[in-house]
Amino acid sequence: MLPDSDLSAPLGTDPEGRPYVVRAHELGMSFRTTNESQKTLKGTISSALRRKKTERTVHALGGVDFSVAKGSVYGVIGRNGAGKSTLFRLVAGILTPTSGQVAVYGHVTPLLSLGVGFNRELTGRENILLGGLASGLDPQQIVEQYHNILTFADLGEAIHSPMRTYSSGMFARLGFALAVHLDPDILLIDEALSAGDAKFKQRTTDKIAELAASDCTFLLVSHGLEIVRQLADQCLWLEGGKVRFEGPAEAVVDAYLANDGVAPIDASAMVDL
Amino acid sequence: MVAYCPQLASVPVPETAMTDASTTRPARPLTVHKPSVSGLPPLRPYARDFWQRRPFMWHLARTELKGTHYNTFLGQVWLLLDPLLMAGIYFMLRSVVRPAGSEFDRNRIIAHLIIGVMVYRYTSSSMASGARSITGNSQMVLNTSFPRAIFPVVAVIGGTLEFLPMIVMMLVTQLVLGQPVGPSLLFLPLVFAILAVFNMGLAMLVAPAMVLFRDTSGFLPYISQSWLYASPVLYTIAEIPPNILPYLRWNPLFPTFAALEEIFSGQAPSLSNLVFASLWAILFLVAGTTIFLRTEPDFAARL
Repeated sequence: MLPDSDLSAPLGTDPEGRPYVVRAHELGMSFRTTNESQKTLKGTISSALRRKKTERTVHALGGVDFSVAKGSVYGVIGRNGAGKSTLFRLVAGILTPTSGQVAVYGHVTPLLSLGVGFNRELTGRENILLGGLASGLDPQQIVEQYHNILTFADLGEAIHSPMRTYSSGMFARLGFALAVHLDPDILLIDEALSAGDAKFKQRTTDKIAELAASDCTFLLVSHGLEIVRQLADQCLWLEGGKVRFEGPAEAVVDAYLANDGVAPIDASAMVDL
Repeated sequence: MVAYCPQLASVPVPETAMTDASTTRPARPLTVHKPSVSGLPPLRPYARDFWQRRPFMWHLARTELKGTHYNTFLGQVWLLLDPLLMAGIYFMLRSVVRPAGSEFDRNRIIAHLIIGVMVYRYTSSSMASGARSITGNSQMVLNTSFPRAIFPVVAVIGGTLEFLPMIVMMLVTQLVLGQPVGPSLLFLPLVFAILAVFNMGLAMLVAPAMVLFRDTSGFLPYISQSWLYASPVLYTIAEIPPNILPYLRWNPLFPTFAALEEIFSGQAPSLSNLVFASLWAILFLVAGTTIFLRTEPDFAARL
């Protein structure tokens, strides 16, 4: 892989001269899973005694290459189980690849489908502090951003209630508001926008465009293909853990729709499903 | 100072700004995620990320204690009452098997039980909450990427915060029951610091066990109970039959409890007890940390 001596672009640059901030090379991930739902000591001993092999290997990703340039929005699409969330967890460093590598230049903030790691028993306010500290900010920085986060999330008095009382839309709003204010260089958004209402969607797309213009980089997993087409510059289509097609977002989304037997014209109808 | 401002992210940050103030994040680190050859993560960035999240660890520990009502008066009362009740039960049990002699002997045994139960609880609760620390925080493990060692460490910080008021209670017990209160008590901080290191290693050891084998939590109460009976908590060292003593000495908690028994009977702890307690603590910490770091990359995949 490429890390060269150029300090401002250790991962090289794209044809337009923009430095790459994420580069994956032959990135692969396989899981060993048991057929039981959870592995237990009793189960392991008894199957060892019966000489029964209960583990099998699942290849979630096999040899994926892609590069993301700074300040761009990079879409990742594909069916359920194509490896999109695994890819994001690898980029975020939550999972360790079993083959290949992915290099990341900058602070990654993962905003995955489950929120920033919220504790549902705590109030929204407490979760802002906890999430901020978890991502490595110091308390002073969180205090500085606190007002902006509240304003963006727009939750009103609910910010003082435990998050278990939140609707999925409120969850998504607080998650996004926190993530964009957490000093990210690279923001991974995995289906975290789909629960918001129309007004919130508009504000998130505006915010993404605004941050991308100021050199924040986005990786976006969404089944809302129209959002990907609208926001993303480049797009990666994953199928069965492999790259099916990578290229300009428009072309990839059209190809994906054509492959699924859905005409591009129907895309707008799919957005709010 | 690298205050956040996305608009400034492209402005090169001077070298000096990247190294000052250890609590702020370094600007734009280059990270390569790849399969580890040694089985261990790169230790220097790991340690840096860990150390930088001190405010987070402190906050998380207090948040978790809130769930046990640590910050309420009744919660505190219960924390202190529980070991007293347990000590009472053990005293009744002992009285059946081996009736205490003089009143001084009785008081000495009661003090020994109360203090022993409180100290043992520090280890057993660190083990139990350490075991839960990864599986119980699965949402955070699956959605964030900071060093996982933070979780068992937070569990032990929480256990330590619960233990601190008990130290005061131990001194009160000594006074009320007419047991020696003297300069030997100055050794307490040292012995408890050794115990804290031991508990940290223990928590690091059981946390991955719980992730790999979910029924670990089912076995822990048996381990915890047997370990209590194998430690000089319900009995004094003098009461151990000589033919059993050599075996019990191999209990990693034995030197710690032996040192405490010396301290609370008014003597300075013997050097050999302090040395062996420290050796066990270091062994557990090194083994626990190594095993934890080696299994850590698998956590997210196994939750």
